[in-house]
Amino acid sequence: MSTRGSEAWRLAAALAAIGAVTLVLGPVLGTSNASTVSTTYLLVVLLVAATSRLRVAVITSVTAMLCLNFFFLPPTGTFTISEPQNWIALVAFIAVSLMASRLSAVAQARTDEALSRRDELARLFDLGRDVLLITDSREALSILARSIARRFDLEFVAVALPRAGEWEIHQAGGEPVALDPRQLSSAYAAAQTSLEFDAYARTYAGHRTISVNGRDIRLVPLRIGTRPIGVLAAAGRPVEAGTLDTLAGVVAIAVERAYFLEQLKAGELARQSEQLKTTLLASLSHDLRTPLTAISVAASNLKGLELTDAERLEQSDLIQSEAARLTRLFENVLDMARIDAGAVAQDSRWTHPSEIVATAREQVEPALRAHQVDVLIDHDVPVELDPRLTASALAHLLENAGQYSPPGSTIHVDVRLSEEGLVVQVRDHGAGIAPADLPRLFERFYRGAEARTRTSGTGMGLWIVRGLLAAEKGRVWAENGADGGAVFTMTIPVAVKELEPAGSPGS
Amino acid sequence: MTDRPRILLVDDEVAIQRAVGPLLRGRGYDVDVARTGTEALDMFASRSPGLIVLDLGLPDLEGSEVCRRIRMHSQVPIIVLSARGSETDKVNALDLGADDYMTKPFGPEELLARIRVALRRTAAGESPDGGILHAGALAIDYDRRRVVRDEIEVRLTPKEFELLSLLARNRDRVLTHRAILKEIWGPNAVEQPEHLWTLVAQLRKKIEPDPAHPRYLVSEPWVGYRFVTDES
Repeated sequence: MSTRGSEAWRLAAALAAIGAVTLVLGPVLGTSNASTVSTTYLLVVLLVAATSRLRVAVITSVTAMLCLNFFFLPPTGTFTISEPQNWIALVAFIAVSLMASRLSAVAQARTDEALSRRDELARLFDLGRDVLLITDSREALSILARSIARRFDLEFVAVALPRAGEWEIHQAGGEPVALDPRQLSSAYAAAQTSLEFDAYARTYAGHRTISVNGRDIRLVPLRIGTRPIGVLAAAGRPVEAGTLDTLAGVVAIAVERAYFLEQLKAGELARQSEQLKTTLLASLSHDLRTPLTAISVAASNLKGLELTDAERLEQSDLIQSEAARLTRLFENVLDMARIDAGAVAQDSRWTHPSEIVATAREQVEPALRAHQVDVLIDHDVPVELDPRLTASALAHLLENAGQYSPPGSTIHVDVRLSEEGLVVQVRDHGAGIAPADLPRLFERFYRGAEARTRTSGTGMGLWIVRGLLAAEKGRVWAENGADGGAVFTMTIPVAVKELEPAGSPGS
Repeated sequence: MTDRPRILLVDDEVAIQRAVGPLLRGRGYDVDVARTGTEALDMFASRSPGLIVLDLGLPDLEGSEVCRRIRMHSQVPIIVLSARGSETDKVNALDLGADDYMTKPFGPEELLARIRVALRRTAAGESPDGGILHAGALAIDYDRRRVVRDEIEVRLTPKEFELLSLLARNRDRVLTHRAILKEIWGPNAVEQPEHLWTLVAQLRKKIEPDPAHPRYLVSEPWVGYRFVTDES
């Protein structure tokens, strides 16, 4: 519409210019020299041809020729010509003006084409960038379809891939369109059997247009090199065949890329699990061998050496504590296996928070022997939760605090109820957690900078805490306290039984 | 020997200190305990122990590094303890000069036996390059490059004799495959243990009463070989 309008305006302007030239040269200046007049007309025609379409230029040329003949070539006032040389001038004029119009129109068309190419290139470039930014392999193809629809202003885009005899279709755009699998298969089969290059349309053969619910949908084969891997369907704005081909090329590469991403992810997962196994074996090996050696040597000391009573006690004590260490290790491995197998079942009962703290302390008594444990329970009312899981998680936090804070220091255990449920906080006066370790602290086998300088410890504890709490829909996090020590907080959603204010047991 | 031999026990695990310390003291040794590599080096300098029992998994220094630093000054026997599954740590420590190794968990008698052997070896002084070594029914004459077994001379090829005398000069000590290969075939051969396997098999046929169950040339699986003088 707008181009038509501007064309009419241009034509009017051109004719006005011819009229003006005719007026100025004729009645005003009274020029009669035919070559002066025709050169001036030619100037107008060239200007018009350079700025307008061929049609406008041709109409302008013919009008100028008629004006030249009518007003300036004798006998003036008629369309007849008396002198033969003026015939030649007239023919030359029309030939030159038409040729100029034609040349100008060709240049114009080139410019238009270049502009539209540039536009397509920009769209393709943007799409290429979209493709490279896709990292989620599962969502990749839907994101891709959406990107194409957006970048190319298309109403409907679908990427269809043959997967085990079925068509896997990822589509984007307004309402979903039901693509007929038979039509897809036939387009795909045709692409597999023939590959011709249509040099004029700059496209490979295999494009088809199908009609679904009265909408024309273009089907373009997706090819890697010459091998077809699927079909691209598009509807909406008409897109040039060559562009569709290029587009299909980009999509094909994106599809391959998504496939490789998936493979890479699977490989990475396998590698990680392999590494986990190695780490587990190394740390288990150390943590098993040390207590076993100590027990074996201490038992033989008891049997074979002349010992005082105190020494005897010391050796049997050692055996006991090392056996306890083995038991704890064994429990950890069991817990880990349970978490891995998703076999941690929640078994909720009504319990007092004080019981949980007491149970947890008992479980890791050797690790806390050198520390002062300061327990503060805000509200010791019965809560409904899994006491075993909760105590076990708390035991790990206490054990950690015992290991990473200096002997003789105090470990604070604060228990309170909040909207989130039961909140248990363990605070120590150790060196705290290095900021670099914070984000990875709860990863399996991850050991912080401080922990790595010790030979014992498997890096299982905090991971187990997280796993146990997850089974209770609770959570745990770590931070550094105001005085620099580590603070671990766990929350467990609970039901609370409001008791009569009198007897709160366990206080 | 009038003094009780002094042993430096290096291990960061309190449980090991509490068990092995009394064991060694109960068997007549004086024991110093170090918990880290640095402490071990300090105590080595100040207490001059007659033997070091060194755990490889220390919090500060690698055990093999401790080994290397001690070897720069002294030939004191070092028995390394390893709790790790991998053999490379042990082999490294042995290559850097440790005399023997034990893998945790070990029995107390085993440790005591290794300590006795190592102390006896140093008490006997540096192994002579000349003279005659008697081990069981075997007599090795270094000077004349002759080996006699049960009064009968055994004919050895030059390489076989080289291997036997190398092991015998380091008797009761573990020599790693690497160390032996380097000594006998040169530094370029250290990655080719096949040479060694073949040579050991030939040598065993000639000197062992029962080559399938060697009594002198004992294999330390994945680590190396040891020439055993003791009849036990």
